[in-house]
Amino acid sequence: MSYVELFSKTTPNKSLLGGKGSNLIKLFNLGIKTPLGFIVNTNSYTKFLKESHLKDELDLLLKKTYAPNEVLELSNKINDFFIDSEVPKVITEEIKRVFSQHNEQFGERVSFAVRSSANIEDSKDFSFAGQAESYLCNKTFNEIILSMKKCWASLFSPQALLYFLQMRRSGKKVNLKDLKMAVIVQKMVNPQVSGVLFTSNVINNDLNQMLINSTWGLGETITNNTVIPDLIILKKEKFEVLKIELGDKQKMLIPNPEGSFTLLVETDPESKRICSLNDHQLLQLHKIGSILEKMFEYPQDIEWAIENDEIYILQSRPITTLKN
Amino acid sequence: MEKIGEGLSCSTKTEVTGELVYIKTIQDVIDLFDTASGKICIVDDAGITTLSPILSELAGTVCTTGSAGSHLAIVSREFGLPCIMGIKLFTNDITFLTGKKAKIVHDGYDKGLLYLLD
Repeated sequence: MSYVELFSKTTPNKSLLGGKGSNLIKLFNLGIKTPLGFIVNTNSYTKFLKESHLKDELDLLLKKTYAPNEVLELSNKINDFFIDSEVPKVITEEIKRVFSQHNEQFGERVSFAVRSSANIEDSKDFSFAGQAESYLCNKTFNEIILSMKKCWASLFSPQALLYFLQMRRSGKKVNLKDLKMAVIVQKMVNPQVSGVLFTSNVINNDLNQMLINSTWGLGETITNNTVIPDLIILKKEKFEVLKIELGDKQKMLIPNPEGSFTLLVETDPESKRICSLNDHQLLQLHKIGSILEKMFEYPQDIEWAIENDEIYILQSRPITTLKN
Repeated sequence: MEKIGEGLSCSTKTEVTGELVYIKTIQDVIDLFDTASGKICIVDDAGITTLSPILSELAGTVCTTGSAGSHLAIVSREFGLPCIMGIKLFTNDITFLTGKKAKIVHDGYDKGLLYLLD
């Protein structure tokens, strides 16, 4: 049994790679420029639960109903179990092997994003949207293992436990056996600009427009609402900028220059006043958006990052909210 | 009816009224868990994704930062909830809004307006 999948040697498979991981492999196999990496698959998660006896503990803890005000304590307890338990050696050795390969290929200064990818993401009766955790700029093997454990444990974050509680109340069963977490480990991009591109305008549901949110640095500040990003509306059929509304972009998230992880810093006044994308970059994004929409045959919600004029695609999924 | 803020409308144009609740931490979500029905939650830049477990109960969402591509906007659209992102509030004290009856109105173009009733 394998526990780690290289991007270049696997195929989309939601139950093995999780929703996000499976999507990422689709992009990779289509030849879209995406940062390289590997996925610690759901076999690893299952084996870890079994061998650490966490599975029995979890069954016991979650069998009882709990009150909303107990979720913080319960979640903390579960999180500590995950962090304190040893990952089986067959898994860590496989990770160590591919990690060293990547380090050799990219040099020692490379760092990695570690992202959770649950098998239940984007499923219709279990919208897990918003629960996904990402840990950016991990440099060492130990940091990657710790972030991986945190991703696994995020299946039982306070939010998730509240979610399960709400599902139970509405008569839906949550079965622990059905919850699995894969973990994506992907080379970090060190972007000057990042953002989200919707190939349809999600504000007014206009299918003939594209909508872009962009900001300086890493794009997590947009998804997590840390800043008000720039908003740009493009004409879809033939490239034309219809509207630019500057956001204040108060802060920016950057890789910590002195080590691992990230720093949130104040944006310099000049950068706040100008649009984070120029015409050439807008044209390139418009082109990639058109290609991805055609490939997937549906309007897409695309996360992208620009490092030294190269556009990297980090994620592409269908827009689920367009009205006819 | 007094206008207290204006931002980008990022979801349905439906007009809703509800009691405002300022949410800052996961504890606030827990406290609201059994009484979330019909509330309009207002959040700033901290702990946004924590709203997910109660979204299906809410009447609307308001956030002082973010835009159409933020998670809160995406999930609000999924639940068909009116959502104002990047709202500029005409007050410096958000906490004072909790418990006040409010209305989200769409301006017909792309802005969402927040009014205090009574």
